[in-house]
Amino acid sequence: MDIFDGNPMLQGVRQMLGAFAKQSIRPIAPKHDREESMPWDLMKQAQGFGLTQTAVIDGRKALTGQEEETDVKKPSSNARISCIGSEELAWGCAGICLALGGSGLAASPVARMGTEEQKAVFRAALKGPDDKGHIKVAAMALSEPSTGSDISGLSTAARQDGDHWVINGHKQWITNGASASIYVVWAQTDPAAGRAGVRGFLVTRGTPGLVPGRKETKLGIRASETAQVHFEDCRVHKDMMLGIGSSEHAGGLADTKKMLDSTRPVVGAQGVGIARAAFEYLLDRVRSAELRGTPMASHQHLAFELAEMEMEIQASRMLVHRAAWMADHHQDNVRFASMAKAHAARTAQLVTTRAMTLLGDEALESPVDKWYRDAKIYDIFEGTGQIQRRIIAKNLLGVNPT
Amino acid sequence: MDFGLDDEQTMIVQTIRRFTDRDLRAWAADADRAGAAPEKLAATAGEMGFFLDAVPADAGGLLEGAYSHTTRALRGFELGRGCAAMAALLEANVEPSLAVAKWGDDAAKKAVFAALEGGGLATTWRDARGSLSIDGDRVTGKIGPAPALARASFVLVIADGLVTILPVGGAKALDPAPTSWRACAWGTMQVDGLSGFTLARGGAAPAVSEEILSWWKTSLAARAAGVAAAAMEHADKYGRERVQFGQPIGKFESLIRLRDDAETGSAAARLMALHAAWAIDHGRSATAAHDAASRARAFAGDVVAKATIDAVQILGGYGFVNDYPVEKLMRDARGFDAVVGDERLDRALAIKATIGAEA
Repeated sequence: MDIFDGNPMLQGVRQMLGAFAKQSIRPIAPKHDREESMPWDLMKQAQGFGLTQTAVIDGRKALTGQEEETDVKKPSSNARISCIGSEELAWGCAGICLALGGSGLAASPVARMGTEEQKAVFRAALKGPDDKGHIKVAAMALSEPSTGSDISGLSTAARQDGDHWVINGHKQWITNGASASIYVVWAQTDPAAGRAGVRGFLVTRGTPGLVPGRKETKLGIRASETAQVHFEDCRVHKDMMLGIGSSEHAGGLADTKKMLDSTRPVVGAQGVGIARAAFEYLLDRVRSAELRGTPMASHQHLAFELAEMEMEIQASRMLVHRAAWMADHHQDNVRFASMAKAHAARTAQLVTTRAMTLLGDEALESPVDKWYRDAKIYDIFEGTGQIQRRIIAKNLLGVNPT
Repeated sequence: MDFGLDDEQTMIVQTIRRFTDRDLRAWAADADRAGAAPEKLAATAGEMGFFLDAVPADAGGLLEGAYSHTTRALRGFELGRGCAAMAALLEANVEPSLAVAKWGDDAAKKAVFAALEGGGLATTWRDARGSLSIDGDRVTGKIGPAPALARASFVLVIADGLVTILPVGGAKALDPAPTSWRACAWGTMQVDGLSGFTLARGGAAPAVSEEILSWWKTSLAARAAGVAAAAMEHADKYGRERVQFGQPIGKFESLIRLRDDAETGSAAARLMALHAAWAIDHGRSATAAHDAASRARAFAGDVVAKATIDAVQILGGYGFVNDYPVEKLMRDARGFDAVVGDERLDRALAIKATIGAEA
């Protein structure tokens, strides 16, 4: 476990992104939260040091300065780098962290199952500025109005018509859904095949029938855009279906679910970052402030709460890194990935809620309010807390309890 | 022991419930987005007797005889089901009215009751951290954030060694409005040696503080229980309609458990609030009444925090977006911890003080 022995590459990522979070993310976080706007300028700036919208496909050399391990049998550091970096960025602002990494959700399946042609299409779609002068972003469109936790019940349908697929359906809660220049949309190609029939398609903005929809007003992560996306007789060339020409990847939903095993620790790491932000704010306050003429730090009431928070945060981080280490070593981490994500989500909610309570009326005008609102989504997206427990329980018992 | 309501209480609960279901819930989302209650709130609620319900009839108010904290707790629960922010506005005048009637001199009564009768608001703020500087009757420091302070004419300040009603001047609305109780006109006010109508000073202040705090905490507990109940009403409805994995999600045992625990908590918090109100109304010692109110409020605060977070959880992605009512409830839950102070800390300090110094 090289997070304990000061692996220089991982430490370097922590230091670089920690400094970026402190100097560049924190100062603008309140504005983007209040205005519910994407941090376009910062996203452009972040490209300069490797946080590009295509990083998942291009590899991480720009970020770490090291060549990526390409031999799939050897251990890599990808999952751990992502976890460490994400914790720092989410410490700065979870919404901005998600804005910076939102395209990665779409890039991941392309990197995993895409042909060289599809990767080229993806890269080309994200080149240069969009019509508003913003950097271009990508979106993965999976969830639907009636398909949240149960992704096997997708109703968006793809029907073959000659060399094309014709896609119809509505997608909801799509990160970058209104602004994306390219979409990876998941649709049912063969209802009789159930989950195996669900395939991903690359659809570029401007394709007739692709209609970016309404932006949602949300409780938290307000710097990250969430929107509906509609597909109305949207014709996509058959070469843009993911998984074609690959014997290893069917390109179906099973591959998507497998992908979640590597993203869940990263999502957990973001929860740890939010918890740490609230914890550090409270810690500073307790260290420096007085309570009725006595140092706050002299009160067990507050000091033990901090001790409790620190225990939970450290435990969450250990689970996150254990799951990431397993992913990097190509071990089956499904149970640990779910435990890491669920535990970190709970910790983020627990720490932010307690910090709000302990700060009393001060909390109303403090950044803890934002962290409290940001934390909640971590128990909902990328598999709710209930879905994680279902996975863990199934792993333990072999059955799906209801 | 009687858990039943009398005829008047039954009528009041039914009336407020109708008001909540028909008006408050209809106005809540817009008021939240706008950060202000609708104009019609004052007129509609005024007709129902809010704002002047604790002002004595001989001073132009509606109160004849003793004030019923039990009825107020029943009402508070129903208001909490509607909108915590508007509930805070509707309940704001009660503590200042009762305190002035009980401890104020004629000048205080004349000034405060005249302002309230003219449609003014009063509010209450407790200096929970002991940060005000008190010199005799004079107060220096920052007052607030307090609900309604940005629109109030008077603020009842409860500080160490002084309970006073100060005229509000130069209060600033919190900008941006806090995300909790957004429509309640949160405000702060910087004062420098300001004096108003002193209700209690020095050694007399703690007992007066305790009594006022017992009223306030009881009402807060009842309202918090109402918010928790509302959260689970929404979650229940959604859980019956939303189908995932081939069944309504409300059938999953883990989600039943979330709802069931919240409903138990809400019912218990409501009963604790009613018990504290009963203790006040039946002349139990101020200390005993305050103890009950304090425990009710701490417990209700925990209940509403968990219930609203769990309601968002049950609604999932829909819970997180503003089109559905539960994310507002999760924000509003915080308001209950943002007033009065930290109940558990206060009790710990009080108990510490009773245990001998030799230890």
